[in-house]
Amino acid sequence: MITLKNVTKKFKNSDNEVALNNVSAQFEKGFIHGIIGISGAGKSTLIRLLNKLETSDQGDIKVLDYSDIRELNKESTRMLRKRIGMIFQSDHLLSRKTVLENILFPITLHRKLEASDYDYAKELIKEVALEGYENRYPSQLSGGQRQRVGIARVLMNKPEILLCDEPTSALDVITTSQILQLIKSISISHQITVIIVTHDMNVIKKICDTVTVMDKGHIVEHGNVDDLMFKAKHPQTRAFIKEVGLDLASIITDENREKLLLLSFDKNIVHESIISKMTNDLSVKTSIVYANISPNKNGVMLLNVDSKQKEVIKYLEKELVVVNRVV
Amino acid sequence: MLFDLEISVYLEALYDTVYMTIISSIFVFIFGLILGALLYSTDKNGLWENKIVNNVLSITTSGLRSIPFLILIVLLIPFTRIIIGTILGPTAALPALIIGATPFYARLVEIALNETGEDLKETGLSFGATKFQVLAKILIPESLPALLRGITVTAIAITGYTSIAGAIGAGGLGNLAYLYGYARNRLNVTIIATVLIALFILIIQIIGDQAVKKTSKK
Repeated sequence: MITLKNVTKKFKNSDNEVALNNVSAQFEKGFIHGIIGISGAGKSTLIRLLNKLETSDQGDIKVLDYSDIRELNKESTRMLRKRIGMIFQSDHLLSRKTVLENILFPITLHRKLEASDYDYAKELIKEVALEGYENRYPSQLSGGQRQRVGIARVLMNKPEILLCDEPTSALDVITTSQILQLIKSISISHQITVIIVTHDMNVIKKICDTVTVMDKGHIVEHGNVDDLMFKAKHPQTRAFIKEVGLDLASIITDENREKLLLLSFDKNIVHESIISKMTNDLSVKTSIVYANISPNKNGVMLLNVDSKQKEVIKYLEKELVVVNRVV
Repeated sequence: MLFDLEISVYLEALYDTVYMTIISSIFVFIFGLILGALLYSTDKNGLWENKIVNNVLSITTSGLRSIPFLILIVLLIPFTRIIIGTILGPTAALPALIIGATPFYARLVEIALNETGEDLKETGLSFGATKFQVLAKILIPESLPALLRGITVTAIAITGYTSIAGAIGAGGLGNLAYLYGYARNRLNVTIIATVLIALFILIIQIIGDQAVKKTSKK
């Protein structure tokens, strides 16, 4: 879906500072991809290359069916951008247009409005839970509502990819959660591949399938969120994971590393007391080092197993638990 | 009769002032918007960044603004004679008023567009808008309240210019105040002319404020 190969981008300032240094990455269709990094890591630059708000100095970028977007002319660039939506940290709504007019606006850039556009806009307003707000102006809405308008507006062009540049940084915790859920649900209902740039590990943990960690213009780590949470090696990644209350350095030590098993529970089996049954049946000593288990959600657990590791793995796999070693 | 002058004399002078101010404000709004949009768009990170064009426009704008208005009128006498056919009367004052006030308004337009900003420009581009659409459909409409505030300030400045122009033959309240108040030492006439100008400026301000209020949805 999206492939970057040896991409380098320098800033236009006098120092020619490197924003992205020989970056290669791949983002598969149908997932929510997170890109995390501190300010200046190059994460925003990376997604801005994908819709050509910036142009790379070197390297190939494949997006959708365009084999190298750097070669696109003006007209093709417009078509590319039409297929890639982008939302920003602040809503960037047009202050003098109503909610409905804002949502319809992207269409007016390409053609005249038709009756079906109004129908679709109303559908979107319903989807983002803003019914009754059609004729309000942005200044009459809360931050979360404005971001919802922004999301409905970006959907108007029926994009295949949605780029989100820190979409929740300006919002409070509860609103953030709602907006993230909305992004997740539209990604499913509209079949959109999402890339979210953030500096907040909670965002990644909440909705992302994969995570790419960036530092100083490089990609330092990349993988599935669940895996990376426990297998992170780079100090930057570990620092982010610590932010969500998981201090890997204190949990995984050189002494226990060999003995740790990473268990993933499907939401259908989290309520079963598999671990206590297993310790009884196999009479092994185990200790739970870390667990994140709540009803009706997929859960993870780090289990310290002193002996009989092979039998434990076999037992748990029979109970449909996915077992991985940490090392 | 009001201080030895027929009321119609004051009204005629008022009419000339209003005429000069309104006609030149309309032209200044159009030319200033174009020049201001060009200054904004050719500047660094602008839609059509072009250092050379921007420098030429910027220096011309600043240069025109630095010429005192009285001197500008005199400098423009040959030009005015060619396009208007005379250098006397309110219409003859228009070229100098327009050329004098356009650079001022253009700078206000440039500031307004700059403040509306980078963010909306990117949003527009990300929807697949052309650069011209970004300017015409996003930045200018979003800046409208600021543009109207700017033209209000400019129209008031133009009213001031008309009285300078009036002193050297353009007619209007400035002319009246100068001819009777200064040359014939009739302070009363000057006071009435001043009150009329003040009232006119007040009306411009009120109309401007209302227009801003109506267009701003913030």
